[in-house]
Amino acid sequence: MQAQATQIIHAYKQAPWRVQRQYVGTFLLVVISTSMVAALYLQVTARAARAGREIQEMRLEITTVQRTNADLETKLADLTSTSTMESRAIEMGYRPVKPGELDYVAVPGYVVPEPAILLAADDITQFSQALPSEYTQSLIEWFDARVKNGGY
Amino acid sequence: MRQQYAIRSLVLAAGLAFVGLAIVVQMIRIQNSTQAKIFISQGDLYAGEFRTFYPERGEIYDRNGHLLAGNRTVYEVGVSLSQVNDPQTLATTLGQYLGLTYEQVYNQLTNSPKSWEYVAVQDYVGEDTVTALQQLIQQKESAGDKSLNGLGFKPHFQRSYPENSLASNVLGFVTQDGRGYFGVEEKYNDLLAGNPVQVWVPSDPNKATEIPRVPNGTTLVLTLNRDLQAKVENILDQSLTKYGAENGAIVVMNPKNGEILAMATTPRLDLNNYSNYFSVYDNGSQYNRSIGMAYEAGSVVKILTMAAALDAGTVTPQSTYVDTGSIDVGGITIRNWDRQSWGQQDMTGCLQHSLNVCMAWISTQMGPQSFYGYMERFGLGHPTGIDLSGEAMGRLKVPGDTDWYNVDLGTNAFGQGVTVTPLQMLMAASAITNNGKMVTPHVLYSMLRDGHQYNVPSQFAGSPIKAETAKTLNQMLTTSLEGESSSALLPGYRVAGKTGTAQIPTQNGYDDSHTNASFIGWGPVDDPQFMIYVWLQKPNISIWSSETAAPVFSQVAEQTVVLLNIPPDAVRAQLVQK
Repeated sequence: MQAQATQIIHAYKQAPWRVQRQYVGTFLLVVISTSMVAALYLQVTARAARAGREIQEMRLEITTVQRTNADLETKLADLTSTSTMESRAIEMGYRPVKPGELDYVAVPGYVVPEPAILLAADDITQFSQALPSEYTQSLIEWFDARVKNGGY
Repeated sequence: MRQQYAIRSLVLAAGLAFVGLAIVVQMIRIQNSTQAKIFISQGDLYAGEFRTFYPERGEIYDRNGHLLAGNRTVYEVGVSLSQVNDPQTLATTLGQYLGLTYEQVYNQLTNSPKSWEYVAVQDYVGEDTVTALQQLIQQKESAGDKSLNGLGFKPHFQRSYPENSLASNVLGFVTQDGRGYFGVEEKYNDLLAGNPVQVWVPSDPNKATEIPRVPNGTTLVLTLNRDLQAKVENILDQSLTKYGAENGAIVVMNPKNGEILAMATTPRLDLNNYSNYFSVYDNGSQYNRSIGMAYEAGSVVKILTMAAALDAGTVTPQSTYVDTGSIDVGGITIRNWDRQSWGQQDMTGCLQHSLNVCMAWISTQMGPQSFYGYMERFGLGHPTGIDLSGEAMGRLKVPGDTDWYNVDLGTNAFGQGVTVTPLQMLMAASAITNNGKMVTPHVLYSMLRDGHQYNVPSQFAGSPIKAETAKTLNQMLTTSLEGESSSALLPGYRVAGKTGTAQIPTQNGYDDSHTNASFIGWGPVDDPQFMIYVWLQKPNISIWSSETAAPVFSQVAEQTVVLLNIPPDAVRAQLVQK
């Protein structure tokens, strides 16, 4: 009786449809795994590409702003140049002062100013971080790094 | 049958496996072959490009924050040849807007080598022109007209000088290749230009690249006072006209720290049109006469002779000399400027009447070793070390030189046979105003980089004379200037100084009809805050510096005290008391 049951189970395990299903299952597993990896890869590269594009646009914007800034500074200097200011002053009825026409007043505690400190705003680019490696490495490089770091 | 089928299947499978394996082996072999490396490197050429990011050139300001040299955007106007629809319209439009002929542009568009993708039609095009062209393109495109397809604009920086020719001799200029010439632009070219960064930029937009940090060039703050510079240049230009001088130079320096407050020379160059350089100057030494052109300055050198003699103890202010109108030195007779004898004179009188004979006597009393030792310590014959390019060092002949003769000891004492630049004289004379310490002149006040300001410390160039000597001579020069009622005097302020009228050496001896008129002076005497050197080359209204350079000194001093807020002596004394 027991031998017969074992025989039936053995026959069931070796049934052609069951073997075929195992093959199909394995195949599907490979396909699904590959698809998942491909989807993950696509997602990562898409994000990297989007970030790359944003960086390019920001870089362009920075350059444009820097150019505009330099242009405005030069235009301002043109408008306040010695010759322009002098002719404007004369138009407005001013004339150069003579030494005898000046009044000097003693102001206690007044310190003659040193030449203007022309510190520009801090250059933020010097402190900018390098791009995170997630944006530049491939999936294989990422996996390799994880393996080398023990999963971290 | 079944077994035969199985064998065939096995053979077929083995055959296919072998073929597959062979393909894999071949793939590996090809990928690791030398040809593959060449192919990969060739492929890499199209995978991106090395792009050089040039930093914005550092700006230059005066000491009060006025921009003297900046940058502005200009454009390269070019055409992408593969996108051109209508070369005739493009040629007509660009010719009209860029001032080119139709043929020039049309030839560029149609006759360029086939491998060319892009052709630059004109560079350094101004913003106004480019804006007008961009508006035209927009108008045409909105009307469906694609005749200007392919036209593009690449922006980049160009050096700009808002003050045009102001302080051109100090600033120098930058050519289109980005290199600085003359003045600060050349001396500090590396600092101003910064460091270009080369980066590999992939063509594949999916590959994000690191943003290169391209720090701007270092910004420089000069010691110049823009308003004083403008006034001094104006006075110099008017003086040349008034006195009929060929050229000239005026330098204003702070004698306490060597800061150059103004440095005017002629001719000057509009720095925004530097291509006129060759029509303005014959040689580089003319670009900044204050430092680049050494000349026989004449009697202004007498203050150094007197300083040396006082310091060495050869004479005192009370020492007397009986001037007979001539003296024999090295077998040559030396005479006074007026060929007259002035009788008994003390040392202040020798300076006041600018007696050549007295000075020659002093130097012979000192002896060549002592006299030339002092002159060398004053820096004659050596560059001052100012931070401007193109400095000349003048010539001080000394015993032992093949062209030195005994008479030179006498003539050098009153400024003949020795060549100096105006700046060398200022540096040497700074010892008289500065308790014997000589300052190194400089134009750089500070540097700005990465949000930090680095101030340039003042430097001393030695102490050629003692503090006591300096004070004594300062007083003697004040007295001598006041004693002759000089036109250099400035009402309300005590100033000291010395004239210098020098004949001009030629190949046939000295030119009797032309002179170099000079004046060196400083004030206020009790607390010198400015030191001025005036040099007028060949004035034709009068050959005497007392009638030309001296009044110019007074004019410059008047503007200097106003712009530097220096109260008159009486007012200053009251303010100090309070």
